[in-house]
Amino acid sequence: MTTHLDLRDVSVSFNGFRALNGLNMSVRKGELRCLIGPNGAGKTTALDIICGKVKPSAGTVTFDGTALQDLEEHEIARAGVGRKFQVPSVFRDLTVAENLEVARARHPGVWANLRWDIGGAGRADIERLAALVGLAEQLERPAAYLSHGQSQWLEIGMLVAQDAELILMDEPTAGMTVQETRKTADLFARLKGKHTLVVVEHDMSFVKAIGDIISVMHMGQLLAEGTAAEVEAHPEVRRAYLGSGGISNA
Amino acid sequence: MSSKTSTQTALPRLGAQLAPILIVCAILFALPLILNNDFLLNKVARYLVLGILTVSLALSWGFGGILNLGQAMSFGIGSYAMAMALKLKTVPVHTGSGGLPDFMVWNNVARLPWFWEPFKSLGFALAAGIIVPALVAAALGWFIFRSRVTGVYVSIITLATMVVLNLVIIDQQSYTGGFNGITDLAQLEIFGIAFDAYGRATFYLVASCVALSLLVAFAFTRSRAGLVVQAIRDHESRVRYFGYDVATYQIFVFALSAAIAGLAGMLYTIVMEFASPTFLGVQLSLSVVVWCAVGGRQSLVGAFLGAVLVAGVQGALSESAAFLETWTLVMGALFVLVVLFLPKGLAGLAQGAWRWIVQRRQLSHEIAQSVGQTKEGSA
Repeated sequence: MTTHLDLRDVSVSFNGFRALNGLNMSVRKGELRCLIGPNGAGKTTALDIICGKVKPSAGTVTFDGTALQDLEEHEIARAGVGRKFQVPSVFRDLTVAENLEVARARHPGVWANLRWDIGGAGRADIERLAALVGLAEQLERPAAYLSHGQSQWLEIGMLVAQDAELILMDEPTAGMTVQETRKTADLFARLKGKHTLVVVEHDMSFVKAIGDIISVMHMGQLLAEGTAAEVEAHPEVRRAYLGSGGISNA
Repeated sequence: MSSKTSTQTALPRLGAQLAPILIVCAILFALPLILNNDFLLNKVARYLVLGILTVSLALSWGFGGILNLGQAMSFGIGSYAMAMALKLKTVPVHTGSGGLPDFMVWNNVARLPWFWEPFKSLGFALAAGIIVPALVAAALGWFIFRSRVTGVYVSIITLATMVVLNLVIIDQQSYTGGFNGITDLAQLEIFGIAFDAYGRATFYLVASCVALSLLVAFAFTRSRAGLVVQAIRDHESRVRYFGYDVATYQIFVFALSAAIAGLAGMLYTIVMEFASPTFLGVQLSLSVVVWCAVGGRQSLVGAFLGAVLVAGVQGALSESAAFLETWTLVMGALFVLVVLFLPKGLAGLAQGAWRWIVQRRQLSHEIAQSVGQTKEGSA
């Protein structure tokens, strides 16, 4: 498997605070990479850099041979990058079906979208997606009426609908019950291989359930990389998590 | 859930949304048969035109989330385009060389200005009344949305732009008629039909344009692009991460809204028989926002009816002796009440009532069914 996503010497600072300080990381095609680290380590910022929400002050982000750091957000998305945000970000006044419909657009231009095929052939697709994330019964409900967990699921469903090659997930299981978390892990296992995933997560049992290789970040840099066992035994990692009761309670 | 049941629910949804538009249009076309008073018909036609203007605002504000406080600018441009063409068709009392408009003669203008020349063609004027507002909006939108200006700043920029154009028109009296506007116009004549402001032909023309505007706006909101525009309204930055160029969509809905407002402006000139700087004035532009809010900005028919009702009541109150002094207070109170208690306007109220009736009927139906089943079971 070849390198799919590559971050080289990425730095960014907010008002003098260096959120990322020469981050180097590469992810292979079809891999599911978990990104962990103490609060303020720069995990979310790393995702923000990849999807274009934040521009790096130095360094390069290469995805599939394309340099992403100078592109606009929608251009990065068109290059095949999808992002799930920490706070579920769905379109509240649109129904579940409409949310999925917006997400699954293959032609992003205005003129290409002056079409009225909603409810046509794509409808079966929407229903399959809704069933996948357990929202089949809620298709015609406005997203504003969904519970927190359901909103999380809807946004995950929207990412599957978007069918991006690279999917960035920021704490996808936050606010989910144990059963829901398990379901999410199953879904991720299915996405792995077909898509490349980078998942920021705090829940170590979830990380162990889904992750092949774990990247540990600390102070805006990569601290360690390896399997769950390797990472947990790593002395530097132990030191970084000192005082917070070890990695399992992060 | 099988795919069958959901397509079955999707189709009546379309019908339920289209039905109010069709009912309103049917009533409008039937109105001249009942209302046998040309003066009254003209007055109603005026309110209908303001209704079209309000529909155009609902499109950009209610669906696109862009509160354009200068919506009347597009309206005014359309109105002047029509007035310029009709002015050149009059036989002026004080004709200058080559049929110069009277106000130009008074202002010692010797030759027709270059930008008046193409308005000798009615076809050009009709196209310009729609295309020019759309292009102006697209250009303005390009600056606003490419630089990711949002919220109240969009409203300030659009309002300021309209005020500037308004002042320019008033200032350039020799080319625009200034404060007096463009008056003493010929009647519009297309395919041998003369559109007298007080004639039925004009009323039917206005009613047809109401139907056209409502259907075009409705078709847009039901398209995939319309869905993306509504998604932008709900969460602008999120839409970018699905690969949509948000600014392009905003510019598009902004320009489409301006085109419809331009059409309304042209009709207003026909109905009022003049064009005036007040057509792109702050007062009208802000009134449109009130009508839109009262009717329900997320409903096209709601916004339309809101304008017709409120503008109609405004007209009636300002003419009655009892409210001569206080009608603005009444309107202000209405606006405050709607904003406080009906965030979705009268349309939201109607939708709520309709849902309540449907649920009641479903409930009683289910109760009847379960009662029937228990009876069968016990038998």
